[in-house]
Amino acid sequence: MEYINLFVKSIFVDNMIFAYFLGMCSYLAVSKNVKTANGLGLAVIFVLLFTLPINWVLNTYVLQPGALKWLGPQFADVDLSFLSFIVFIAVIAAFVQIVEMVVEKYLPSLYASLGIFLPLIAVNCSILGGSLFMQQRDFPNLGEPVVYALGSGIGWYLAIVCLAAIREKMSYSNVPAPLKGIGITFITVGLMGMAFMIFMGIQL
Amino acid sequence: MDKKLKETILNPILKGNPITVLILGICSSLAVTVQLKGALVMAISVTLVTGLSSLVCSLLRNSIPMRVRIIVQLVVVALMVILVDQVLKAGEGTYAIDKQLSVYIGLIITNCIVMGRIEAFALGNKPIPSLLDGLANGVGYGLILVIVAFFRELLGSGTLFGLRVLPAAYVPNNLVILPPFALILLGCIIWVHRAYDKDLQEK
Amino acid sequence: MNTNSNAYTIIYTTLVVVVVAAVLAFTAMKLKPAQSANAQAETLRQMMSAAQIKPTDELYATRNADILKIYADNIGQAYTIGLDGKQNGTLSTDLKNIGLVDNLKPQNKAIKDGSEATLPVYVFKSGVIVIPIYGAGLWGPVWGYIAFQPDGKTIAGAYFDHESETPGLGAKIKDEAWFREKFAGKTVEWGETPAFRLEKNAEQSGAANTVDAITGATMTSKGLNEALNVWFNAYENHLGTGACSCALEEQAVTPNEEEE
Repeated sequence: MEYINLFVKSIFVDNMIFAYFLGMCSYLAVSKNVKTANGLGLAVIFVLLFTLPINWVLNTYVLQPGALKWLGPQFADVDLSFLSFIVFIAVIAAFVQIVEMVVEKYLPSLYASLGIFLPLIAVNCSILGGSLFMQQRDFPNLGEPVVYALGSGIGWYLAIVCLAAIREKMSYSNVPAPLKGIGITFITVGLMGMAFMIFMGIQL
Repeated sequence: MDKKLKETILNPILKGNPITVLILGICSSLAVTVQLKGALVMAISVTLVTGLSSLVCSLLRNSIPMRVRIIVQLVVVALMVILVDQVLKAGEGTYAIDKQLSVYIGLIITNCIVMGRIEAFALGNKPIPSLLDGLANGVGYGLILVIVAFFRELLGSGTLFGLRVLPAAYVPNNLVILPPFALILLGCIIWVHRAYDKDLQEK
Repeated sequence: MNTNSNAYTIIYTTLVVVVVAAVLAFTAMKLKPAQSANAQAETLRQMMSAAQIKPTDELYATRNADILKIYADNIGQAYTIGLDGKQNGTLSTDLKNIGLVDNLKPQNKAIKDGSEATLPVYVFKSGVIVIPIYGAGLWGPVWGYIAFQPDGKTIAGAYFDHESETPGLGAKIKDEAWFREKFAGKTVEWGETPAFRLEKNAEQSGAANTVDAITGATMTSKGLNEALNVWFNAYENHLGTGACSCALEEQAVTPNEEEE
């Protein structure tokens, strides 16, 4: 039950885009048509799903104040939390790099459709944001960060595919010249965000 | 020389504004605009981080091995962000603001403006112009942040910098505080900017 | 020099990592005392705001050093109790261990497990008794300080804080003064379950142990309600027996202090 609750909450209520504006840059840049949006969305789900649990393990057993207790009692006071930003971003960058190399070598067809988005993802705020929220939210066991990563990724995917579909339609409409393109897109995302707010207070 | 330097400084603030024209760094910008104070601290932090990381990367530009370029840049940026975060936590007046900004300080690392300026400018230019370019982009970013925060705090809480300006009879508009309104407001700022500067309009 | 050879790349990255790690470790070490002092002063501000020592705005406009002084001038005694309500330790009023948020987390676990807990109690010279509460909000922890009148039943004031509740909704527990001000004058009905109710439209019942939940922030309110009741429950053996228990503790403390 706990997991379903967390899953639904991270998709709809605390949506990475509509509630926290994370990953906005690539969200706006790559949402011009559904096909590419689809590719980037899947890549985000994939990278989040792996980096977030890895960072959870690092945070719990290395970085947190007192996390090094398992090394012996003299390490109980060590607080490495000031290193967390750098460790998280290094894990993400390294993971993305490795995946890119593996996919390029063994799955060329997947690389053609998904690979071009991978370099974009290392600097996608939603990935690092996911890890930072994970650190703040104190998940008690490995299951929760996995569910949270999956939910956040799907939420992001949903948001970008919806926006891409709207923008495809909107390219035929008569928008005032100064608002054309990015201006109207911002307003659209705002209205979508309002629609997503009806999920607030949802309880399972 | 002087003219080019002036261009470097002025361009990012108006014509090539990172937020409204280049659409970079929106991730962390909107969430911190509920209050003017937080927005101002965020703006200063980003300005410092972009300036200093551009400076350092420009100094290193001839020695960085191409293959690990991105990672080295990320490490430099992360270093600057951690330093800013630690200093904010240690300062007496800034501790509460750092708490309020929570994860968004850390997210400066992935703020596209920082990496974007390093890639596009610092790696090909001398340290001093790079520093100025970084700072100017930070200011251009901060300007938008402060404008958005001004309207959101004024209409959403009836205050500016925490001081009440609108009469008590004004009922604060809750919608303004909520995330979606920041996007709509930004859309309107782009509208005004592009109505004024017709070159920027998209065809 | 070939900047693309393997050896160069490896040496270069190692060097960068070492330099960065050294700079970070140095600053973290240098700034740690100032950071802890900030965290400590923040706790004291929240506690004294709940205890109505000074208005909240004034406390937040006061510098750290003066906050410590105001605390030292006003604190009567501070000690810890176990779940049985008996005192099991004294807290030095010299400002170490003053119940920072990090210390509340393990205590919250101890309460839930029913194991050995050391729950802090602060008795100010005005007779007001302050206890902390701690629990889970929508996303991160929510915590707060509740001040009781000397009768151990009537709430004198409260202060709430949170780590990552939604701005404009759940974050109101901290941002909106009217919310915490609603708690003053309410009572905790020891012996009843629940002892206190923070629920939707609860005030309509007219009972003195109710406060309305925040509209739109269902999960945060629910979490805060649970935090209040779990911690009130843990303090019931101490506070719920009437005003006498605190006075008794006072006598029990004196010999301890002489031993030291």
